[in-house]
Amino acid sequence: MLVSLPWAAGLFRRVAHRPAAYLNILLTLLAFVHGSLILQEVFQSGPVDLSYPWLTVADLELDISFSLSLTNLVALELITGLSLFSQVYSLGYMDKEWALARFFALLGFFEGAMSGVVLSDSLFQSYFLLEMLTLSTYLLVGFWYAQPLVITAARDAFLTKRVGDVLLLMGVVALCSFAGGMGFNDLYAWAATDSLSPLAATLLGLGLIAGPMGKCAQFPMHLWLDEAMEGPNPASILRNSVVVTCGAIVLLKVMPILQHSPVALTVLLVIGSISAIGGSLVALAQVDIKRTLSYSTTAHLGLVFIAIALQIPVLALLLLFSHAVSKALLSMSIGGVIAATNCQDITELGGLGSRMPATTTSFIIGGAGLVAFLPLGGFLAFAQSIELLSVRSIPFMAVFLITNALTALGLVRVFRHVFLGDALIKSRRAAEVNWQMALPMVALSVVVLLTPVLLVRLESLDGLLAFPLWAAGLVVGSGLIGLLAGALIPLSKAWSRSLNPVLRWFQDLLAYDFYTERFYRLTIVNVVGAFSRLAAWFDRNVVDGVLHGVARLSLQSAEGLKLSVSGQSQSYVLTVLVAIVLFLTAVSWFLT
Amino acid sequence: MVPHLVDLMLLSLLLLIPFSGALGLLLWPTTQSSERIRIGAIVILAVQCVASFALLLPFDPTDAALQLVEQARWVHSIGLDYALAVDGLSLPLVLMNAVLCLVAAVASRSIDNRPRIYFALLLVISGAVNGAFLSQNLLLFFLFYELELIPLWLLIAVWGGANRSYAATKFLIVTAVSGMLILGAFLGLAFVTGTMDFSLRPILSGELGLKAQFLLMGALLIGFGIKIPLFPFHTWLPDAHTEASTPVSVLLAGVLLKLGTYGLLRFCLGLFPEAWQLAAPWLAAWAAISVLYGSLAAIAQTDMKRMVAYSSVGHMGYVLLAAAAATPLGLMGALFQMISHGLISGVLFLLVGVVYARTGTRDLNVLRGLLNPERGLPLTGSLMIIGVMASAGIPGMAGFISEFLIFRGSLQPFPVATLLSMVGSGLTAVYFLLLVNRAFFGRLAIAPGEVANPRILDPVALREQVPAIALSLGVLALGLAPELLSNLSEAATTGLSQLSGGLS
Amino acid sequence: MTTTMKPITPPVLPDQEELIKRLLSDTPLLADTQDHLVQVVNVLETYGIVLDAYSKNLVDQGEKQLLNPFPIFRFFHEGLTPKRLWDHLLGDRINFEYAEYCQKAMFWHGTGGLDAYLDSEPFQDVCQRIIQRKAQRDPLLALTNKLYPGFAPESIRSLTTIYCLGLFWRVMSDLFVDLARRYAIKEVTCVNDVVHHIRDGLVAAAANPITYEVDVAGEKIWVLPPEAGLTFLVDVAVPYVEAVFFRGMPFLGTVSYNAQARQISPDISDFKYGALYADPIPSMGAGIPPSLCMKDMFRHLPEELGRWYDDHGRGQVDVHVQICVSFQKSMFCVTNGAIAGTMPHALDTTNADEQAANRAYAEAWSGRLMGCQRGALL
Repeated sequence: MLVSLPWAAGLFRRVAHRPAAYLNILLTLLAFVHGSLILQEVFQSGPVDLSYPWLTVADLELDISFSLSLTNLVALELITGLSLFSQVYSLGYMDKEWALARFFALLGFFEGAMSGVVLSDSLFQSYFLLEMLTLSTYLLVGFWYAQPLVITAARDAFLTKRVGDVLLLMGVVALCSFAGGMGFNDLYAWAATDSLSPLAATLLGLGLIAGPMGKCAQFPMHLWLDEAMEGPNPASILRNSVVVTCGAIVLLKVMPILQHSPVALTVLLVIGSISAIGGSLVALAQVDIKRTLSYSTTAHLGLVFIAIALQIPVLALLLLFSHAVSKALLSMSIGGVIAATNCQDITELGGLGSRMPATTTSFIIGGAGLVAFLPLGGFLAFAQSIELLSVRSIPFMAVFLITNALTALGLVRVFRHVFLGDALIKSRRAAEVNWQMALPMVALSVVVLLTPVLLVRLESLDGLLAFPLWAAGLVVGSGLIGLLAGALIPLSKAWSRSLNPVLRWFQDLLAYDFYTERFYRLTIVNVVGAFSRLAAWFDRNVVDGVLHGVARLSLQSAEGLKLSVSGQSQSYVLTVLVAIVLFLTAVSWFLT
Repeated sequence: MVPHLVDLMLLSLLLLIPFSGALGLLLWPTTQSSERIRIGAIVILAVQCVASFALLLPFDPTDAALQLVEQARWVHSIGLDYALAVDGLSLPLVLMNAVLCLVAAVASRSIDNRPRIYFALLLVISGAVNGAFLSQNLLLFFLFYELELIPLWLLIAVWGGANRSYAATKFLIVTAVSGMLILGAFLGLAFVTGTMDFSLRPILSGELGLKAQFLLMGALLIGFGIKIPLFPFHTWLPDAHTEASTPVSVLLAGVLLKLGTYGLLRFCLGLFPEAWQLAAPWLAAWAAISVLYGSLAAIAQTDMKRMVAYSSVGHMGYVLLAAAAATPLGLMGALFQMISHGLISGVLFLLVGVVYARTGTRDLNVLRGLLNPERGLPLTGSLMIIGVMASAGIPGMAGFISEFLIFRGSLQPFPVATLLSMVGSGLTAVYFLLLVNRAFFGRLAIAPGEVANPRILDPVALREQVPAIALSLGVLALGLAPELLSNLSEAATTGLSQLSGGLS
Repeated sequence: MTTTMKPITPPVLPDQEELIKRLLSDTPLLADTQDHLVQVVNVLETYGIVLDAYSKNLVDQGEKQLLNPFPIFRFFHEGLTPKRLWDHLLGDRINFEYAEYCQKAMFWHGTGGLDAYLDSEPFQDVCQRIIQRKAQRDPLLALTNKLYPGFAPESIRSLTTIYCLGLFWRVMSDLFVDLARRYAIKEVTCVNDVVHHIRDGLVAAAANPITYEVDVAGEKIWVLPPEAGLTFLVDVAVPYVEAVFFRGMPFLGTVSYNAQARQISPDISDFKYGALYADPIPSMGAGIPPSLCMKDMFRHLPEELGRWYDDHGRGQVDVHVQICVSFQKSMFCVTNGAIAGTMPHALDTTNADEQAANRAYAEAWSGRLMGCQRGALL
């Protein structure tokens, strides 16, 4: 039985720089191969659970436990596979980077934490590893620590995720107290039988949602993904594709527990819908390439949240898989554009299409995979979703379709800006990227094209194609609408805002992401800051003031008493005796 | 298996080594260089460390009772007997004391001003703390508790920073008041129960009326509350830390604050279980207030050391919360928190000390970009990130497991207070991230007006960082393999919790 | 309250008038001290050795890697042996990636005669000839060319720039190594001599023709024919100085590329990220490509300079930052030499019109230099 764990993909310190990179890639490859071997075995013989005791104190029992089920292993393969691609890609993107060892060490840490999260069978362990993911996000986003915007980005990423994690910790601790065990199967059994008060169930549910909400950059905790795009592109690739997948998978695993709290489910639906539509709208107003992608990640994860809230796990998984590979490919292609033109502003780019074949093709394929273009993975996922949702609730079907259309619009807009049109100054001379970047791009394009085949191997063909024609029609239609809209809207290369005040207000609202950052600054940051200043002032003036007052009093009384020093030991002894007698009398008087 | 004779003497050895070592150092000729004296102190403390860890051999972790008991009559007429014993609660603290004193000695480089007295005082403190943790007689405990007062006052007053006399005096007076309250409570206990027997007997208070219990316990609470420190008795700590030198800060935060929490567990909970149970809800609320207050005040600080000092205030509040809940898990968490806080704050103070020694400032408004690999302090920065994350409760390090145990143990008895304390835990990340972001990220800047060409800092040799590295490794080890500690102390903490009727 | 060190007063930098005075009076821009001489000559010596390696590699790439989709072994211009491969993997090598970075800067900014020629008709025709010839043997190229007609010509343009940069660095490398030789035999004794040496070398090589002939499946084709009339100084050297010394490309490690933050100017002629503007302190941190060059120079550091560094700064701990500081000073010398070499008239002229022309020229250059790291000149 295969026991060893395909993580711990290396944490090498800055011994030598490039060898660390190669070793990391080697280990990731090993992890991928190992994972696929396990996958094949589990495919044939069924899931396996592994468990090792870790800490047993009083009535608390914590184990290191893994569940090697099909879903988990597919997710593992996704993670190691995309990490492999991303690491080879970063050899090309970061080839002029000196601190490669630290970068690859962090990537390895990242990958290890993610692998652990998807394999884990215990809520405590999932939380443990999610927090390590938060830490590694902070370090990875803060990789270029000398850059001022990176500093704030890393800080915001960590704090936003930490808030989500602390709320999740509250939920985990509560569950631990109520249910006793932390293994998922134990928790499901407890959830099925036990009944909590509605308030407790609601709070528990909200706590459990908060962690994944932060990880998956859902509204209102989505700001950090935008800022995290300051980090290096290979890290952004992983962040947009697999990190959010991890968060969603944790949410999937706690889904049976959430069932008991209708409020939590409603909150999930609301947040998911807002993120889906809001995210796609904001993506339309962005001028930075990386941000257009990051907001669409928020949007798609919103759809996943809706799927989870409506208790359709298979749909969530389909969406996650197709989204992860397509988004990773899109991110790679964008990285190629940035590397070739030193520019992230789509209004300053143009005409790259005919000169960068690998990059352009990747963008097209990735985009197609994302927006349910026939017959790629995204299409299957969306068609299934329409069919399943039409049974349960029409409004969310509409949310899915609208999001799809808006995403298509956004992608076409970016494509027209960057790849079509005339070459501007910054894109006048742009050669294709080097082979270390081009190779993973091409390979991942092939994977995206083959996604339907992969999905078919995991589920049966009938199961996947079991959607009526009208559902397919709706999906294709929404995609086409978006496509046409994107093709026809006027593009302006200047940063002009519309003269129409209503439209301008709307544009600004979207461009600045519903002013979320300003909102945060005015509310949470200011409140905490005010309280902390109050505490510090209170400390200095009131508490210390009392202390100083007492000191002054004692000094003054000492000065007064000084005058009563007679120099005769008898009077001292008398004073002391009197004092003791008084004290003891008082005590016994109190006590009787 | 260990010879009976050695068994008898082991605990006294832990007192004998540091005290005789201090005496020996004082008697050494003044012609010895300070480096020699430092080596001498390090050797003595290393021996103490070995002796402390040797306690693990005869110690039986499954026995909740006191072990390795040593008793001798001393001044029996006033009830002061020489009684030492160790159990699962005090053993880890003794070990930590040994390690941190050794670290403090190693970190005390270039003490040019009266090195003999400095190291002698260090050894006296080490011995006094050992005595306090091991003593089984109330007056003996008080004796050792007061014994560490003057040496620490001297250490701050003579080898401290610019404003040291104010801080030292404040510390002295405040701690002396705490000592008075404790003594008063002990004397009162003896007076009211009518017995002069000061041996530590947990059922002692069962004979007292409730009012008596509350009065005495209240005095003890305030006394230990000053030491822990808890809001609003904490203001001496930031000043003391700011003015003390680095090794003294490490000792203060790592070991001396634990005297307060140990006293809380052993004497308040241990001696007055009835009153404690009744007062528990108020205590939990007090803990939550102290945690939030400490964390909020820390955010507004601009001096790195002051920030770490306020974080100590916040972190020690968790111990009170767990003690209030008095569940077995909670008390284990309290012990974990004591150990992990000692190690983590040791790391943080050592690193802040390195920064101050090299750059001459701890001001967060001025320092920037110290992670610069060539001109900055890269290793210090990396270790600082580890330390900061450990304090914030990131899993994989000691801080997380202690906080988890505390929260898990206290949630059901006091849900609101626990949730508020968790918020405080989240706030820890806020201010420590402020510290790292300002001082270590960005472009190098050390003093205002030097933007173009920051001054050249002396490089930091690797051996100077050895204590910080060793402590960080300890933090990681405890975080990844917590059974090391829990196996040792589980029996003792469970026993203690059952004493209070077990609130789980 | 917590600070115990006194702030240092910032030094006084030379103003524009001072710079013009130095340019017109044959005084070097860099303060002429012994310390500066030691730093500049030795840094240029190691830089010359590094450039030698870069140049050989780039020229070899130009000759062998035409339209090669997987140039995995492009850094092995000396041949592929197991030992070389092992050293390459271990990172024990010259970082040719930095050479490619400089080339990308030159290519992307695209100024001067070389760039203009790359857009001209004769060049387009040559490109099509090359593509047709290669596509006969390579179906993938044929397909790609049909779908993406701009790809192959752009790739050829990029390779052309690589080759020309290699030729440029050939001249510079020889120049710097010769400078070190003359310093060793005490022919160069002050910074002014260094500037003169560079000036004379540049002037001597000014009219060197830049031609590029490549072998495509047996047929030799002129990519840059002699008839194009491209010369060393005007068509390659000046654009290089413009792209690498002055404009540069923003470092990912210190500047945010965020479009909404608008930290990078949309007008690339306004860029101030070149070697003369760069801040040496963050060297060897993350996201700073010239760190690679500093490491290369460190490998070949002359002993004299190594000893000098031990006594300054933090000794061996911050040697790369010290190399960066010295390197920046030497680049000011090279710029100085280039300005001196391209001055419209002789500096000791008595003709008033010529003096005015000289002064105008000096004003233009000193205006640009005002934004640079003038602290290096002190």
